[in-house]
Amino acid sequence: MQNTLLTSARTSVGKLGTGLALLLVLLMLFGATETYAQSVRAPGNAVNLDDGIEDGPSNALGDDSQSDFWRNFRGGDPNDIKQMLEARPEGAVLTTTGQHWRELRENYIRKYAGWFPLGVIALLLLYHLIKGKMRIKGGFSGKTLPRFNINQRVSHWFMASVFTILGVTGLIILLGRPLIAPYLGKEVNSVLTSASMQGHNLFGPLFIVALVWMFIKFVRGNFFQWVDLKWIFKLGGFFGGHVSSSQFNFGEKSWFWLVILVGIVMSGTGILLLFPWLVDDLRWLQLSTILHAGGAILLISVLFGHIYVGTAGMEGSIDSMLKGEVDENWAKEHHDLWYEEVTGKSATEEEGTS
Amino acid sequence: MGFVGFVEGPLFYIAAAIFALAAAWRVFGLIRMGRKPDISPPKGSATAGFIKGNLRHFLPRGMFARRTWIHIVGGYAFHLGLFVLFFFGAFHIDFIKQYLGISWTPLPRWGFILASEIAFAGLIVLWVRRFSDPVMRLISDRDDHIGTWLTFLVMLTGCLALQQSHEVLRGIHMLFVDIWLIYFPFSRLMHAFTFVLSRGHTGATYGRKGMNP
Repeated sequence: MQNTLLTSARTSVGKLGTGLALLLVLLMLFGATETYAQSVRAPGNAVNLDDGIEDGPSNALGDDSQSDFWRNFRGGDPNDIKQMLEARPEGAVLTTTGQHWRELRENYIRKYAGWFPLGVIALLLLYHLIKGKMRIKGGFSGKTLPRFNINQRVSHWFMASVFTILGVTGLIILLGRPLIAPYLGKEVNSVLTSASMQGHNLFGPLFIVALVWMFIKFVRGNFFQWVDLKWIFKLGGFFGGHVSSSQFNFGEKSWFWLVILVGIVMSGTGILLLFPWLVDDLRWLQLSTILHAGGAILLISVLFGHIYVGTAGMEGSIDSMLKGEVDENWAKEHHDLWYEEVTGKSATEEEGTS
Repeated sequence: MGFVGFVEGPLFYIAAAIFALAAAWRVFGLIRMGRKPDISPPKGSATAGFIKGNLRHFLPRGMFARRTWIHIVGGYAFHLGLFVLFFFGAFHIDFIKQYLGISWTPLPRWGFILASEIAFAGLIVLWVRRFSDPVMRLISDRDDHIGTWLTFLVMLTGCLALQQSHEVLRGIHMLFVDIWLIYFPFSRLMHAFTFVLSRGHTGATYGRKGMNP
């Protein structure tokens, strides 16, 4: 009897439990238990603002979870580059990307940026000490070929002048604090940085003019060709051997496109930094400073190589940009296909033998 | 007396005096030289030739225009830009008012910046053409380069001081202004005054002969 009653009671409790469980599941399914879905249980001494305090703020978090709220409050995930490129989330109050931007700028860019140009200079010095100046094998012939007209030369030197001013002022702005302030003092750094900022802002727009002018004057002849592959495989002839090339070799073409493409990035980011009200999201400006500094360091570093080959590194090169003419032997040696194109003569045969 | 006080005070007065006296001396000297008496009967007006000679040289002759367009654009950009930034820059008008008591409406800051950029672009173009064109290189001497660089440095140091955050930057600008003022009368920078006489002389000579200057 007892067993029967116990069994019956157990069955009833079991059915009741099953019924309650089903009810709970149904309630959950219909969303009636949303408040219970919070993963964090309130501590025992927590005060529920909805209970007892009628005048206080209620439902302050709205329908957002804590984590969503704070993520939105600070403006998204600072480690997510895609979010950096998106507009600021609706309702965001502050961004924490600034802290990451500052760390990147202080701990990496300002710390290591200066080493890249110095590294290039060191490599060039080493190369020059080992290999010396690249002489024209047959010496100067005394006969010249026109290579760059006056418009090309002026546009080149115009760009060089503007770039020099921007490079010097930009490096002071970027590296003044770690490189100038500790040695010459904060006051000197402040004066130089203030001056550099004004100079940089003033000459920045002229860089865009120079870039467009350079592009128009030099784009012809700077498209890559199959013959450039030989230049790459022979490392440009810098370690021996003759390399055929047309008007511009692979190195010159790469430099041209680097200046144009990185120059476009520099111009775009420079415009944003000069007119910050063009964007309503601070992260665009943070990204711009990173790209602007990176692009500048890249261009300045490669520029040293360009200057070296154009002056101390290669005999006869500077004449093309100063006089607009180059020696025929120089043309035969470094731009044989171009020589053949403009003269109609073979670059390998001696005068009078053909 | 500090550095800024010196370059804006005694040095500036000395430089301005040298500039005014020496430039006037050279201009009067040129006028006093006159020209050789021409005993031939005049076929046209020398005065009209003087004016025409001045005006016509503002535009290049047809056959030169294409070959020297960079020079023309650069020249106009520099000279007009310099004129605007010097006479309509708010700082310069304040400076002139301080010494002469006269003033006029200055350009807004963006106008000053734009004029400066145009002037800088023109000056750089003129200078790089000077050494990258074989003929220009041949006819250019040290004076041309010094004059160009001094003018460039005066403009550059002025623009570097635009933030007005450090007095010393204005002092450096004034130092270059003083040097420029002293150098001006003894150099080809004098063409700012003598171009009228030079063009006018040519124009008057041709005009008297009944020819187009």
